[in-house]
Amino acid sequence: MENLMRLEKVTYSYYDNIPALSDVSLDVNDGDNIAIVGANGSGKSTLLQIMGGLKYPVAGRFLFRKTEVSERSLRDRGFLRLFRESVGYVFQDSDVQLFCPTGLDELLYGPLHLEIGEEEGMKRALEVMQMLNIEHLKDRPSHMLSGGEKKKVAIGSVLTMNPEVLLFDEPTNGLDPRTQVFLVELMLALNESGKTIVLATHDLGLVAELGARVVVLSEDHRIEKTGSAEEILGDQNLLLRVNLIHEHVHLHGKTKHAHLHSHYLFHKH
Amino acid sequence: MANRIPSFLLARSTARSFKQGTGKVKVPFLERGIDHLAGVIRNGYAQWEFSSQNGFFQRIDARVKVLFLLFFILIVSLKRDVLPETCICFFVFVLTLFSRLNILRVYKRVLFLGFVFGFLIALPSAFNVITKGETILPIVRLPQSYHFWIYHIPAEIGITREGIHAVAMLTVRVINSLSLSFLVLYTTPFHEIIRALKVLKVPDSFLIIITLCYKYIFIFSKTVEDMHLAKKSRIARELSHAEAREWIAGRLAFIFKKARGRCEEVFKAMIGRGFSDSIKFYGFRKMRMSDWCAAIFLLLAGILFLFI
Repeated sequence: MENLMRLEKVTYSYYDNIPALSDVSLDVNDGDNIAIVGANGSGKSTLLQIMGGLKYPVAGRFLFRKTEVSERSLRDRGFLRLFRESVGYVFQDSDVQLFCPTGLDELLYGPLHLEIGEEEGMKRALEVMQMLNIEHLKDRPSHMLSGGEKKKVAIGSVLTMNPEVLLFDEPTNGLDPRTQVFLVELMLALNESGKTIVLATHDLGLVAELGARVVVLSEDHRIEKTGSAEEILGDQNLLLRVNLIHEHVHLHGKTKHAHLHSHYLFHKH
Repeated sequence: MANRIPSFLLARSTARSFKQGTGKVKVPFLERGIDHLAGVIRNGYAQWEFSSQNGFFQRIDARVKVLFLLFFILIVSLKRDVLPETCICFFVFVLTLFSRLNILRVYKRVLFLGFVFGFLIALPSAFNVITKGETILPIVRLPQSYHFWIYHIPAEIGITREGIHAVAMLTVRVINSLSLSFLVLYTTPFHEIIRALKVLKVPDSFLIIITLCYKYIFIFSKTVEDMHLAKKSRIARELSHAEAREWIAGRLAFIFKKARGRCEEVFKAMIGRGFSDSIKFYGFRKMRMSDWCAAIFLLLAGILFLFI
């Protein structure tokens, strides 16, 4: 499979002082389905933002199709267009992503900026709306949408650009179970259709459902382990070490139980 | 789901490579402004970092520092000569040095703001059109003097000795006031300043407004930065100034709405936790001997400057 993205010893810190990523190296190939997991503050979102060309490494390199992605290279018109056309980013907070007057405007924003043409753009927008069941939100402003609807419009706004790589930041956060299932099905279908999916999450249930290749970030902001979903989710010591599961003490009648606990994956005694 | 995927999404993107050298993207002024907003957060962090250092001023009680600030700003406003103002300027510089602050970072701001709000604003008063006096540098000679309404334009326009003194005085005053304020702000955690103001009987409503504003600046500069990144991720070409303005205008409305919603939520949370129109603080630190010594030293220094 063709290599799309390569991170070489990427390091990032906030305010030159608070480390977010340390020496992270990762290859993303065409058609990959990758889940970046880690506890809060482990650097998942930062890593995703670097892959989306929204932040730039303090040290190390990030390459897209063998070209280094930097503030400088993204000033080149040709590369900017190639990169933004190829990489779509779905933000955790849909509110920040929706800035057009109506749902339809949101979906048309990307195609119009890519100068795809109004007719083709409109066709794409309507097809995506149909797929996401959001046709009724066409003329509705974003502040009149529910959390799930906002997420769907935000995803739609990225899909109309037909990117090769889709980056999802905590996609299921704050969504009801039905919307969560819908999202999982959508991500699987997009991956099957050839799209490369990279998501950042601490939802182990989502990782299990997607059957993704898993990259585990430790609390010291390094890659702790990379492996298949089965391999990673079966390694309880690893999950405990990176703070994705925890020991839980509770009462069963008058007997006190202590066991490993995850809200999504298992509940063993 | 798979059979509902539109055909265009199944088509692979034809873009695999790009032609280099097709021109550079210019970043509009407004875009750069948004980037600077992120700097607000960074500066806030720097303030917190500086105030946690172990320098001379950081160790002094916040109440002493707030009183020092008020006392010295009063002295700066009372002085009528450049020499004592310069002495105060040097004294504050030494205090900044002993407080281990980043001199370059602090004085870069002080001098820039002093230049804009002191020198540039006062500059016209250097001319004899505004300040009468002995002309030491003639600039323009007119055929005759003019007089209309309350204004008098002399035949020879130039810079006066008194005018230079006035400009120098205002510039040094502004620089002194700024360096005093920065010294206290950079060496005192924000919550300590609020506690000190509370002790000094500043009204609670005023303190609540300052505290919430300070907190909101960080929350909303983060929101704006995120919105900017979200837009950046969907922009594949250069934006015109008009497009940038349009986007900013739309986002202002969004932020206003969000701010109003957040304000209501925060107020409800405060009410829910027993808020009753007054700020309550716990465990005020007792003034130590070192605080008293520093207070006496600063007081004596202030009195000395008063009589120079």
